[in-house]
Amino acid sequence: MSVQVLDRELDRLEGLWDQGLSDTYRSYLETLSAHEPEMQAKLALAAALIEVGIRLQGLGGHAAPATTLLMGDLCLARASRLLADNATQAVQVAFAKAIEGLSAAAASGKPSRPVRELLVHAFSATA
Amino acid sequence: MIAGRLRFATSHATEFVDVTKLVGQEVRRSGLRTGRVHLQSLHTTLGLAINENEPLLLRDFQKLLERLAPGDAGYEHDDFARRFEISVDEPVNGHAHCRQLLLTGFATLLVEDGELVLGRWQSLFAVELDGPRHRELAMQLDGEFVSPPDAVGRSAFSPPHAVGRSAPLAGPGGANGAQNSDSDLIELELARQLMVDPDPVAVPMRRLMEAGGKRLRPKLVQLASQIGPRHDALRAASLAAAVELLHNATLVHDDYVDESTHRRGRPTVAAAEGAERAIAVGDYYFAKATRLIAEIGNVGVTSTMADALEAICAAQIDDVALRGAFPGDHDSYLRVVRGKTAALFAASCASGALLSDAPAEVVEALRRFGDLLGVAFQMADDMVDFSPSSGKPVGLDIRQKVLSLPLIYAAEDRSVGPEVRRLLAGSLGDEEVGRVTELVTSSDALRRVGDEARGLVDAAVRELESIELDGLRPTLVGIARSAVDRTA
Repeated sequence: MSVQVLDRELDRLEGLWDQGLSDTYRSYLETLSAHEPEMQAKLALAAALIEVGIRLQGLGGHAAPATTLLMGDLCLARASRLLADNATQAVQVAFAKAIEGLSAAAASGKPSRPVRELLVHAFSATA
Repeated sequence: MIAGRLRFATSHATEFVDVTKLVGQEVRRSGLRTGRVHLQSLHTTLGLAINENEPLLLRDFQKLLERLAPGDAGYEHDDFARRFEISVDEPVNGHAHCRQLLLTGFATLLVEDGELVLGRWQSLFAVELDGPRHRELAMQLDGEFVSPPDAVGRSAFSPPHAVGRSAPLAGPGGANGAQNSDSDLIELELARQLMVDPDPVAVPMRRLMEAGGKRLRPKLVQLASQIGPRHDALRAASLAAAVELLHNATLVHDDYVDESTHRRGRPTVAAAEGAERAIAVGDYYFAKATRLIAEIGNVGVTSTMADALEAICAAQIDDVALRGAFPGDHDSYLRVVRGKTAALFAASCASGALLSDAPAEVVEALRRFGDLLGVAFQMADDMVDFSPSSGKPVGLDIRQKVLSLPLIYAAEDRSVGPEVRRLLAGSLGDEEVGRVTELVTSSDALRRVGDEARGLVDAAVRELESIELDGLRPTLVGIARSAVDRTA
């Protein structure tokens, strides 16, 4: 993904890039070599935004303050839009199911599988 | 307000169809106790009349119509050689149009104690003038409702406010005279979705949804989904339910952010079960809604809803940021409201139309309709904060420093503005909130907001004028008007 495209997708979330989003993004990027090159960056960014978003919200831990929660919400929404525009239907559904599983576990106080493991697995979803 | 259609078939060229009993049944089914039922013919050769149902008298009426507009008098309307764009099955019916001119296409009946108010000899007739045909009357019921008993039986939820609720009212031409309404389909789909979810998330969400809500967004989805050539009621109900879940997911997080203790008269998820649970419930239904939308498999719909969700979240951040400059200004207000509220109204209209393969210009007109309606709806919501009869604590928006147009206008007011601004700049206890409320209600602010909201609804309705809506315009207009003419 070009720098300009990446910038556009990070609108209002630029501050997060240096606070761990870039490292998370690169970790996902490394797992996506089997996907089409132009899709790799967008899918990696979507996954990174979800991981960072739920961490900001404090899902499964201590609730974040209001403004931080809203930033986490925006991360999830941006990821959802990236997936809607770029991922297959099967991948979109798999990502949503991963978040459903994480949220349900958090609500019931049960442990869940690591976020990254769930999202990397979601990349391989096929119809 | 409940809106719907009364459908029936006629069997003669001219026929007085007594619909009194049918309308009475729908009134009872709706739970309307005191109010009005408005009827409107959706045809140019079907009239309405209130008179006596005496067979010989009805023949007199028929003969009168024949004398006044004889079938063989020769009508320019029937000279097809001089008309443009006529269909191959265009009927010779100039006489029927002229006869309809002698009748009326509208009727309003009063309802008291759950029954139509009619004199001993009065009956309501739909007057067929060019039959036999399948006919439709638009019907709206407004006033004081009790919970409709048979709707309770069929639905998991029984919304206390039926604003925007629409039922395809069935008449003799309908399927067995009774069929599940579109609203019932939404409620059933919501109940079905909540039934399969884990209790820790489903219980709080069910409590929130059972407490009511106007279901305006899913209703808009369903109506818009009937416009294009590929109407599929079940897919539309699925999308409508997803939109309602998404809306409620945002409310769960909003309530935590706003530190609200109650919504729809019940404790918020955050207040009842803690912030951690509220975050998890919001996330779960955010994800579930996006999954349900993705599973529908319409790229345009998925993309439209994703854009709306992003706009909502961005606007929510702006909203909170603006609280530092409370009460803000008109431009900031519009920017936030268009994202926070109008984006989902617009997406509901557009996605419903996309689902039915409606033409692009129809989708865009409906998107603009939803955007304008959403802003107007929020303005009306702001006004409710100053209405003692709303059932909500007056002044809640002031306490929570929520962006509110009446406050913005009151703060600009030459007379009360300085005191409003001074009070809002300080700490807001009961006394200060009460005084600000007094100042707002004594100023011109509420009238200005009301005028602006109605102006936006007029603009929204104008967006519908240039597109073919297959008879849905009156219902959409009714929803738009009722969205701003409300006290709760």
